[in-house]
Amino acid sequence: MLDRDNAAFIQTGVSISLAACGPDRLPSMSRGLGCRLEDGGRQVSVFLRRSQSLELIGNILCNGRVANVFSLPSSNRTLQLKGTDARITPFVPDDLSVIERHVADFIVEVLPLGMCEAVVRAILAYRPDDLVTVTYSPSAVFSQTPGPKAGERLG
Amino acid sequence: MNLRLDTIRECLEGVIPGHIATCDAEGMPNLAYLSQVQFIDNDHVALSYQFFNRTRQNVLAGSSVRLMLTSHLTGAQYRLTLNYLRTETAGPLFEQMKAKLAGIASHTGMSGVFRLLGSDVYRILGIEQLPGLTVAAPPPAVNYLTALRRATGRLAGCGGLARLLETALDCLGAEFAIDHVMFLMLDESRGRLYTLASRGYPQSGIGSEIPLGAGVIGICARERVPVRIGFMTSEYAYGRSIRDGVEADGHGDSLETAIPLPGLAEARSQMAVPITAYDRLLGVLYVENVADLHFGYDDEDALVAFAAQLGLAMHHHQQAEEQVEDTPTSEELAAAVGGPPMRVRHFVANDSVFLDDDYLIKGVAGAILWTLLTDFVERRRTSFTNKGLRVDPRIRLPGVSDNLEARLVLLQRRLEERTAGIHLTRTGRGRFSLAVDRPLQLISG
Repeated sequence: MLDRDNAAFIQTGVSISLAACGPDRLPSMSRGLGCRLEDGGRQVSVFLRRSQSLELIGNILCNGRVANVFSLPSSNRTLQLKGTDARITPFVPDDLSVIERHVADFIVEVLPLGMCEAVVRAILAYRPDDLVTVTYSPSAVFSQTPGPKAGERLG
Repeated sequence: MNLRLDTIRECLEGVIPGHIATCDAEGMPNLAYLSQVQFIDNDHVALSYQFFNRTRQNVLAGSSVRLMLTSHLTGAQYRLTLNYLRTETAGPLFEQMKAKLAGIASHTGMSGVFRLLGSDVYRILGIEQLPGLTVAAPPPAVNYLTALRRATGRLAGCGGLARLLETALDCLGAEFAIDHVMFLMLDESRGRLYTLASRGYPQSGIGSEIPLGAGVIGICARERVPVRIGFMTSEYAYGRSIRDGVEADGHGDSLETAIPLPGLAEARSQMAVPITAYDRLLGVLYVENVADLHFGYDDEDALVAFAAQLGLAMHHHQQAEEQVEDTPTSEELAAAVGGPPMRVRHFVANDSVFLDDDYLIKGVAGAILWTLLTDFVERRRTSFTNKGLRVDPRIRLPGVSDNLEARLVLLQRRLEERTAGIHLTRTGRGRFSLAVDRPLQLISG
């Protein structure tokens, strides 16, 4: 589903967001703080701040459907993954290193674009005890890089 | 809703792209990045429709919409709940967004990819701020309320159009800290704007013209809406390239091209604001800067409020200047002057006037000058009134709505800039006098 190139891409300094929908089809969304792949990319885990994601977590618990976008600000390369089996699991402290690396990579990515580091750090600030993990199996992959091939299904 | 959108509009500038989440009929979510969110009012925003993608399919199928916006100044994140209302594919909102998108596309390497197909208008059902760390926003460069208070106070004390324009441009520099400004007047009958004053350029460009609908200035005038672009884009350049295009279309034969437009070659931020009075467009105020995203929503609001005051004051002065009766007061005949004569040549086809073979002006201002100089040479007349010019059949003013006083200011400025030795001097409300340094030789054709 996720080829090696895209698997590597979503673990770079990309912007990460996750969305779900409630029973009333009202969408919810939050920023992710990094991701980890398992089982050769068949499982994707994204880390969220619970305090910012109560509605999203509620929706995921309700139906397990997620849309997950990864976008590299400097190139606009954008990928959307979808899954139907998302579940919420407690955050594992070992994953803190994944988040720390992601934040560092993201800052390196956006500072040349003129962003203020203190602002970026505020946007990605977290308390470890506020973190949760969302894990799903990507069932569809779409390119969302702006251009003629935007929206093309890759897998 | 507790949060007002007008207090968080920096989130809409696109520095940190917004996200849009929708849901399809089967309950599958979809997430996408937004190029542009346009503030309409506290209850409405417009999103750019560029591609018929999953987001749009979901919206048209009745999905609720959620946006996530982030302030690049504070890091605060906001979630908006929206309800789709309609799509506009022409008109002021569309043109505002199209211009802004051209800048964003150019900045992000997406020129030719981003193309506005429509402005999707949404009602805002709710705005919530997400919990999380924020930083203090930097203080604004200007306190616009103070600037407006001081600037409008200074406009109120101006005795005539020429003084009013000078003061307005001085205020933009001193009170608003805007260093590069042009003021252009509408020539309604010819569908173009002519530069009447400017600040911050090596050449004033007074008398230079731009067609209605061309570039940021021309679109602002045509749509009567502020147009603001935050990044450099050749698509909305207002300079020579646009005028070349107009000439290629075959409409450029009478466009003033001998006088170059002023302007920064490297303008990254541009903003044009229409000046209106009683539903009539009078002109355009244009400002620019070499920095990206130099002008924001607050700058736009401040300039629109300032332009409203300026428009009313201009209207007042135009009316007042033409209420003076055209009765000659103690007419002072022209005194004889010596020296070699200056040849003044007039071409009736376009009313262009040349002084000793150097081009000076054409059009209505050219016709006015030729009329004044003819009376001066033939009757030694030196005193004139706006009202007299208004009814003079030799000038063929386009209409009552035409701002005659602005034409006189243009003529006066051009003569001053050329140090032509021909002087127009205000002698009272609606009155002015003509003086020359050298004898004149008038040549027709």
